[in-house]
Amino acid sequence: MIQTENRTAVIRERIEKIYKYLYRHKEYINRLNVFPVPDGDTGLNMTLTIQGALANLSDYEKETISTGEYLKDFAEQMLINSRGCSGVILSLYCQGVSQVIVNSDFSKENIFEALENGYQNAYEGTENPREGTILTLMREFKEKYGELMKEENDTVIIIKKCIPYLKEVLKKTPDMLPVLKQAGVVDSGGAGFVIILQGINRELKINELAFSSLPVSIILNINRATKKYLNGKLSNFNKNSIAALLPHLGIEKLHNIRLHNIIEDVKSLINNLQSNRNRLLNKKAIISDLKDMENSWNPEIKLKYCTEFVLETNKISSKEQIKEIIGKYGDSLIILNSGDKYKVHIHTHKPDSVFKDVSKYGELLFTKVDDMKKQHRNFISSNTIDYEREKSVFCIVSGEGFRKILKELGADDVLCYGKNKPSVEHIVKELNKLRTKNIIVAADDKDILMALKYAASLSKSNVNIVESNNVISLISMMMGISKELDITTLFDSIMNSLNDIRFCGIARSVRNTTTENGKTINKNDFFTVYNGKIILSDKNVEQLINDTIEELIKEESLITIYKGIPVKKQKSIIPKLKKSFPELDFEEYYGGQYQYHYYITFE
Amino acid sequence: MNKKILIITADNLGLSKEQIHYPDIEILKFPVVVNDKEYRGSNEYTAQWLNEKYLKEKVVAKTTSIVKGELIEIAEKNKDKYDLIIHVVMSSVMSIATFAIAKNVKEMYENTIPIINIDSRQVLSGVGNVLLGVIDIIKKNNNTDDIVKLSQEVIQNTFNYFVMADLNYLYRGGRIGKAKALMGSVLRITPILGLMGDDEEGQVIPLGKGRTFKQVNSKIIDLIKAKMAEKPVTVIKRLNITGFGDNEEAFSDLEEKIKTIPCDDFIIGKADFAGAVYCGPKSYSVAISI
Repeated sequence: MIQTENRTAVIRERIEKIYKYLYRHKEYINRLNVFPVPDGDTGLNMTLTIQGALANLSDYEKETISTGEYLKDFAEQMLINSRGCSGVILSLYCQGVSQVIVNSDFSKENIFEALENGYQNAYEGTENPREGTILTLMREFKEKYGELMKEENDTVIIIKKCIPYLKEVLKKTPDMLPVLKQAGVVDSGGAGFVIILQGINRELKINELAFSSLPVSIILNINRATKKYLNGKLSNFNKNSIAALLPHLGIEKLHNIRLHNIIEDVKSLINNLQSNRNRLLNKKAIISDLKDMENSWNPEIKLKYCTEFVLETNKISSKEQIKEIIGKYGDSLIILNSGDKYKVHIHTHKPDSVFKDVSKYGELLFTKVDDMKKQHRNFISSNTIDYEREKSVFCIVSGEGFRKILKELGADDVLCYGKNKPSVEHIVKELNKLRTKNIIVAADDKDILMALKYAASLSKSNVNIVESNNVISLISMMMGISKELDITTLFDSIMNSLNDIRFCGIARSVRNTTTENGKTINKNDFFTVYNGKIILSDKNVEQLINDTIEELIKEESLITIYKGIPVKKQKSIIPKLKKSFPELDFEEYYGGQYQYHYYITFE
Repeated sequence: MNKKILIITADNLGLSKEQIHYPDIEILKFPVVVNDKEYRGSNEYTAQWLNEKYLKEKVVAKTTSIVKGELIEIAEKNKDKYDLIIHVVMSSVMSIATFAIAKNVKEMYENTIPIINIDSRQVLSGVGNVLLGVIDIIKKNNNTDDIVKLSQEVIQNTFNYFVMADLNYLYRGGRIGKAKALMGSVLRITPILGLMGDDEEGQVIPLGKGRTFKQVNSKIIDLIKAKMAEKPVTVIKRLNITGFGDNEEAFSDLEEKIKTIPCDDFIIGKADFAGAVYCGPKSYSVAISI
């Protein structure tokens, strides 16, 4: 094993390669995800768990750290950064393994002990452990390892020899967990575990095995088409296009075991029809199989939110205490403990109640809520989105200048709609383009809010809407944003900073009008709107801006002018303003808004 | 037995020598290359000198690692006079080469005199805070293991906040890290960057931004208060504010605001020549140890 001076860098590099290997198979794993909830994110959760640990454990030099100690630190980071059921169980396993090899003893006997401890740690940490899941693979791994170590001395060879066996075990997971069999897949977490072992194997310079699969939506489309075909008139069987297709369908490429078997049955049915129309196979049984399979991908999701948090507390001394506090809110409860920190995963309808109850005992360092129903809809749809990011910030604005400003302040994408407000369809398209699990979205006009809410319900992401009504709020939001925060905390901090910047708008009247306090504004006069009310007006815009600043300035030192489309080509008004207000700083930018000639902010 | 301990560090501390109350100290000088000519910090070559060059002549400046020969010279000169050498080094993430030199020299003297290399994981006044923390430790305890352990606590509890008026200086110096996200904005923004002692990555990170110096000063106060609440402490052990010049009003505003935070040792630091390479005019920093 690695005992060089820069061993931590070497280990990190190897873990990075294993992570990349797993990442390349992320979609394959996602597409197998039917248990406990078919929300298509097992691969993402496993990769995010390792990615989080990599990000938080740099390869800085610790002069005294050993390989075992580094791996233990890494496993602790995995625990804190674990995502979803599979990520949590994987990190529990790694914690257990690392607890034994912390002594840097990589003999075959010690590795065996580590694998045993890893399995025990994962098994005991899982509420309601089930066979046919990643836990089965973990147990079978240590048992096969134990068997092979009697005849092999080299740990690397033993691990290599375990992999074909584990692939066989993986194939049998549908026999252990009925929901997998109905859906026609092997266990996703188990598949991820085997892929990680293959990644380790590869790192040890041993050959790899390839995985591939069709998206769930295509599997379900084949299922439906076959069902439709079988439901048709028997006399039309040979006229149906799928009948012509089926004999040529390369079913060896169908990695969905159940569909594979059903298609074999259908082929057999067709062949029998051709040879002897009187000997029909049990058509009803095949249709029933197809229905069962489809249903397994469409279960009733009783608890909508996959909820996770990290609680730092000195008031709680055991996992049982946490279970007592929040167990009533849901199922799939997994609690991990590292020092005074508890990482908790639960499926619930009431994430807010969960957070509220536990926050009485300490500080919530991290929270995450995924809408599993929405993820499931995306997962089985014909245009599934493969999530590439955990969170994004999306803004909707009218002005091109503001689009650039917000993008450069850190918005992941900005939709510039110009004069015509965006349609629901347009917003949905833009939201889906982000390929993000959680999106925070804000628009510069309250009239967009309705469309935005509807679009959010149709989009494939969890959308958090910031109910903003002007573009300056969006700048304020982006000025205060810190993307390092988890989505809940980030959203709260945005809501708190939304009105940090005072501003007013200068527009031109298109008709004669009277203000609330009885003042007349003639057509073509300019007027100032502040906090939704007209406060000043004048024929001369420069005079009006002067008066507005005088009226509204408090302790601020910076005045920013955002020019709208009507004054795009007009000369800067800053030189004159500087003469009037020498003690203030002025800046001018092009905002590109349609309604207001100018926005003026006070900071 | 009372050990005789020599401390070695370099001149990117945010402190003048007079502010370091420890007699047995050697301070290396980082080479600063301005338009291909090498300089060292002195009464003539200061942060202010470099700022003027930046503003008037648009020069390009960079630093290089400490010079190995100079470190060896110090070790050679003192190996028989002391029982232990402690080398407080700037962040190994920020300067891999400097830390590698320190490590190499430690190995060279393995059989001659023990050397402890303390990776401060900091720059500028953050290094200064770690240095003063280490001095506090050795004044009370000269057990080597204890010094190493307690120094780690100081490092983990030292936090540095920088206000950089122009991130291009940091960018050109290759030290921008994750703060690159704050560059190139149409809207003029003043970023707050940080080097957090408890951040495993040890990179410069963006902590916030403001449109005015007064805004960023208020945000720094909020960040410090949040850090105090997180730890939790009610009083800061040591606080160093260092200004790189040409921004008196903002610095005074910061000083006024920061004095509202309870602190045992309040220091107005000295902008150093090497640090000015990356900070540029109008910048300032706040380092706290809690």
